[in-house]
Amino acid sequence: MSKDYKDNLPISAEGFMDEFMRLKRGSVSRRHFLGVTGLGLATAVLSRFPGALSTPAYAAEDLGTQMSIATWPNYHDPATFENFKAATGVAVEVNVFGSNEEMLAKLQAGASGWSLFVPTNYTISTHHKLGLIEELDLSKIPNFSQATENPRFTKEGQIDGKTYAVPKNWGTTGFSVNTSKIKTKLSSWKDFFEIAQTEADGRAMVHDYQLTTIGSALVSLGYDFNSIKADELAKAEELLIKVKPHLFAINSDYQPSMRSTDAWLTMCWTNDGAQLNRDMPELAYVLGTDGGEIWTDYYAIPKDAPNKAAGYALLNYLMDPQNAVKEHIANGAPSTDSRVIALLPKEVTSNKIVYPDEAALTPLEFGAAVTLTDPGRAELMARFKSA
Amino acid sequence: MRALVTFVYLFLYTPIALVVLFSFNAGRNASEFTGFSTQWYGRALSNTFLMEALRNSLIIAVTSAALAAVFGTMAAIGMERLGARTRAIFDGLFAAAIVVPGVVIGIATLVALVEVFGFINPVIAALWPGDQPPKLALGYGSIIAAHGLFTMALVTMIVKARIASLGRDIVEASSDLYATPFTTFRQIVLPQIIPSILAGFLLAFTFSFDDFIIAFFVAGSKTTLPIYVFASIRRGVTPEINAIATMVLVASLVLIFIARFLMRERTTTN
Amino acid sequence: MPLPHATKRRLITAALVGPASVWLFVFLVLPFIAIIVFAFGERAPEGGYQAAFTFEQFANLGARSAAFVNTLILAPIGAAACLIVAYPVAYYLAVKASPQRRLLLVSLVVVPFWTSLLVRTYAWMYLLGARGIPHLFEFVGIENVRLINTPGAVLLGIVYGYLPLMIMPIYVSLEKLDRRLLEASADLGAKPISTFFGITLPLSLPGVMTGVALVTILLLGEYLIPQLLGGGKVFFIGNALVDLFLQSRNWPFGSAIAVTLVVVVVIVLLVAMRIAWRVAGTRQVDLI
Repeated sequence: MSKDYKDNLPISAEGFMDEFMRLKRGSVSRRHFLGVTGLGLATAVLSRFPGALSTPAYAAEDLGTQMSIATWPNYHDPATFENFKAATGVAVEVNVFGSNEEMLAKLQAGASGWSLFVPTNYTISTHHKLGLIEELDLSKIPNFSQATENPRFTKEGQIDGKTYAVPKNWGTTGFSVNTSKIKTKLSSWKDFFEIAQTEADGRAMVHDYQLTTIGSALVSLGYDFNSIKADELAKAEELLIKVKPHLFAINSDYQPSMRSTDAWLTMCWTNDGAQLNRDMPELAYVLGTDGGEIWTDYYAIPKDAPNKAAGYALLNYLMDPQNAVKEHIANGAPSTDSRVIALLPKEVTSNKIVYPDEAALTPLEFGAAVTLTDPGRAELMARFKSA
Repeated sequence: MRALVTFVYLFLYTPIALVVLFSFNAGRNASEFTGFSTQWYGRALSNTFLMEALRNSLIIAVTSAALAAVFGTMAAIGMERLGARTRAIFDGLFAAAIVVPGVVIGIATLVALVEVFGFINPVIAALWPGDQPPKLALGYGSIIAAHGLFTMALVTMIVKARIASLGRDIVEASSDLYATPFTTFRQIVLPQIIPSILAGFLLAFTFSFDDFIIAFFVAGSKTTLPIYVFASIRRGVTPEINAIATMVLVASLVLIFIARFLMRERTTTN
Repeated sequence: MPLPHATKRRLITAALVGPASVWLFVFLVLPFIAIIVFAFGERAPEGGYQAAFTFEQFANLGARSAAFVNTLILAPIGAAACLIVAYPVAYYLAVKASPQRRLLLVSLVVVPFWTSLLVRTYAWMYLLGARGIPHLFEFVGIENVRLINTPGAVLLGIVYGYLPLMIMPIYVSLEKLDRRLLEASADLGAKPISTFFGITLPLSLPGVMTGVALVTILLLGEYLIPQLLGGGKVFFIGNALVDLFLQSRNWPFGSAIAVTLVVVVVIVLLVAMRIAWRVAGTRQVDLI
């Protein structure tokens, strides 16, 4: 996003104080502060050195002047794309989606225009089956290292021994709760749906995304997160429709509403939970003790990508541990790559939102491929929204 | 009464004032005013994606409005010459093009084009002598076509209404004086219907430039200004959007002013 | 050899209506046939369309009854709300405002069309959100007011977006009104109120009908305003359609709903024309 381009320019003293006061009030993120005041510039310049090693690889191919990436809300450090533009001359357009279904629909209709996108683990087999993604040419991603990836999170990128997607980061789906507005202590999805109808009446948000919204409703009822059994889905629908009049919104981009305190409780992904908590400590991130989702997001290249060369170049740039560390610090999603984890400051690795204890992860499940295409779940979600 | 009317104008203009105000915001949020700055105008103008979206929207709006003005006017004149039954069919189709909701037009065009392309592209590929056969895809063409449908119907309606109010005797007089039909059209009919054609063109342009829902379905990988704005709402609006909206507003006000001025000139010189 | 006159005349006619006919056929008739065919098909296993012949999609329409009901209630209410706000403004512009100021005031009604509706609606998202009007409430001690993402917010957005479309036709019909009629009525001792109900209102009915029909029909296909100001909760048929094509990828069901929506629009239009016919007597009323 080129809009952050000038953020790296140093600003006046007044501007600095102004930004500093805003930071203290919590209305801007630390990342924004570093960016605007130019403190980020030093980091940006330094980080270009490791990248310089792989620059010859870019130079060999014509990368064009622009490309487009499809990703999720609040998922990248805008400075990353600016630095990439500075290094390669390629401007990156960021398209934001709220569900894998939406990305799939766009790809299926053809001409998505993306040269890189961010699908979640359970969707990759379907994208492969439908011929929407291509096998990655690993020689074009020298910065990627399979050996340092945690196999627990990264096995779904490979199909029949071929690599179709490489991991971006992993994470969890829990909920974020504004503890200054809601006094009850929530610890499970059962609590979530109860409080959404009582203490957080009119203030709770669920994702516009079948996997997590239906999955969490199923979990709160004691069923499997990935269930496609008709009777269990019927129970989940009953619950969701009962809760709906009490909701603030059905939207996967909940950060603005949580920050403005229009909403007090929301389904939430690790990275958003970490960003919200970092800027507003009263926004706690909770993992359901009764279950929920654990996931890995990947990078993949669509078969009809208009600028594959730039797609690979950006992918390689993002796989550079130095760049991945900065992305990690900005967006707060845990890394699958031990090289990246080794470079992280202790305050990040000890953050329990980002790297929860193993015990908290035990009840969580990975999404199952069948949920992506199951007509019952798709129709349930659509009925819930239009009810 | 006066108070009420004032209130309605306030209601209409408060959001617009807010849009303009935030375009001068120093901060990057479109929701918290942190100081005065014109930096977002510069940023908007140097944002390649925003400028491309603006350019796409202008190209699409001008092309579809021009096509609509030409073909719509031709149709309005041609329909006069048709038999009552054929004319009724055209009337019905044009009315349908206007009342069918944009969302349905978008969906139906998408469905039809995806099918047609799926059929034609392999044929082209089979017949193409070279390695890389051209591939039909959604883009400029499909947006212009789908916008053109509605705007052509609009122009036809407006021009037809004007033609209906024209006196026929002057046309007859002209041909009695041995003017060719073309001369009659150019010298007698055209000057009288030109204001309605221009009005139709302007309405068509405005519609196409501001349309979101039809383009949302048939744009393929092309981004129009409304699609860019919609996407920005999801990734967080910056005052760049306010800056571009303000510039568009000012540009259109200037154009309206110039048009008014030119029309006044013409009426006084005539 | 010169062509016979009749043939030549026919050729010219064909050339004139030709381009528009091709357009209407390729981009209206053909797409319509396509969605009708799709509406009888099945959802493919991974989403999209799969050829079949089944009435399943139409049988399932009840699953979107809430969206249909919502639209069929909020569209006329929205149009009525627009009318209530628009009428006094149109009346003021046509009857009360001085001729010099009239031009400016009328232009001011049209100008909002030149700023993107999306951007203006976004401004409402801000105004109705916690940092906007509810924040002002906090100054007077009223905490936790919620305005955004409610049916009320959607209604407000509708009135805001469609008001100019309602004002203009009413203004035009009131402006045509012969003022001498009003003066005569007053001279004959009629009270202003009976002049209004006896003369002004009946004569402005064609404009009112045009405005109401126009706004209602446009609202039946609305997507953006409920999406942005309703928080994905206040669903119109337009939203249900977008959802079916861009999320759940059920093209056949989406097509069936699109076909049904068109049928609903046509019915509403016919009913409106009927009412217009009755209120306006034998006068011709142009709805479009």
